[in-house]
Amino acid sequence: MANTSRLYLTCIRNTLEAAMCLQNFPCQEVERHNKPEVELKTSPELLLNPVLICRNEAEKCLIETSINSLRISLKVKQADELENILTKKFLRFLSMRAEAFQVLRRKPVQGYDISFLITNYHCEEMQKQKLIDFIVQFMEDIDKEISELKLSVNTRGRLVATEFLKQFI
Amino acid sequence: MAEFVEADNAEAIITRIEHKSRKIESLLKQHKPVEALKTALEGSPPNTQDERCKSANWIVVHRAIMAIKDVDSLFSYLDPEYYDILMKYLYRGLSTGDRPTCDQCLRIHEKLTERAGLGCILRSLADTSNTV
Repeated sequence: MANTSRLYLTCIRNTLEAAMCLQNFPCQEVERHNKPEVELKTSPELLLNPVLICRNEAEKCLIETSINSLRISLKVKQADELENILTKKFLRFLSMRAEAFQVLRRKPVQGYDISFLITNYHCEEMQKQKLIDFIVQFMEDIDKEISELKLSVNTRGRLVATEFLKQFI
Repeated sequence: MAEFVEADNAEAIITRIEHKSRKIESLLKQHKPVEALKTALEGSPPNTQDERCKSANWIVVHRAIMAIKDVDSLFSYLDPEYYDILMKYLYRGLSTGDRPTCDQCLRIHEKLTERAGLGCILRSLADTSNTV
């Protein structure tokens, strides 16, 4: 179990190291504009093949690269309804504060839970290795966070129910 | 006119793929998974845009990949010229989402990256004309 997780993260890390080769590229259509090509997808020659890495039916990671930007979309494992709701709320909380994260995208790509958009400007300001470490660390921590949240919800629910039902004994 | 040429080509390619698949079945029965994988990767990707040929070839390669048990010995026998094409098929396998396929592909991917380096991954990303 832990072994596939390690392999999955290694695969994503290697693919990101190879795919994060970004350079500045001003917009071809409109002068004086500079847009992340992976979002617009106007010119096919600027895009690389998108790569989908699945760990199993529930977890996957889509990596799309272009000449000046890279988009990583993650789908996190959600075992039951409670985890579904917790993941949605937690990731929505993070996405709304995307300004603080800089590399986070405000809305996840259709079909995924959370998306990152890394542009050449990010690569110039920040170290490529550290960006990749951040993304992989994020993926590891998300699972832990969601299980912690689920545990605390269950504990609180049990406490509240016990207290409430005491009055009927 | 171009469509007829494509259709001819497609039929010929599919027949070739069926031959390959029979050869691979026999090699697997003789417990030679590496040979089977080499046979599967030869002549790929098929020089056509036809989806059926690509799918047929993928099924054959998938069969060979799933039969491999020992990943380390794989690389001592496989020639470097097959690394790039194997990487493209690994990514196709990873996109299927089927658990045993993904497990196997992740295992081989790690070892292949150690062996072939990041250039191999980048070539599979950058090659938009010869996709599998």
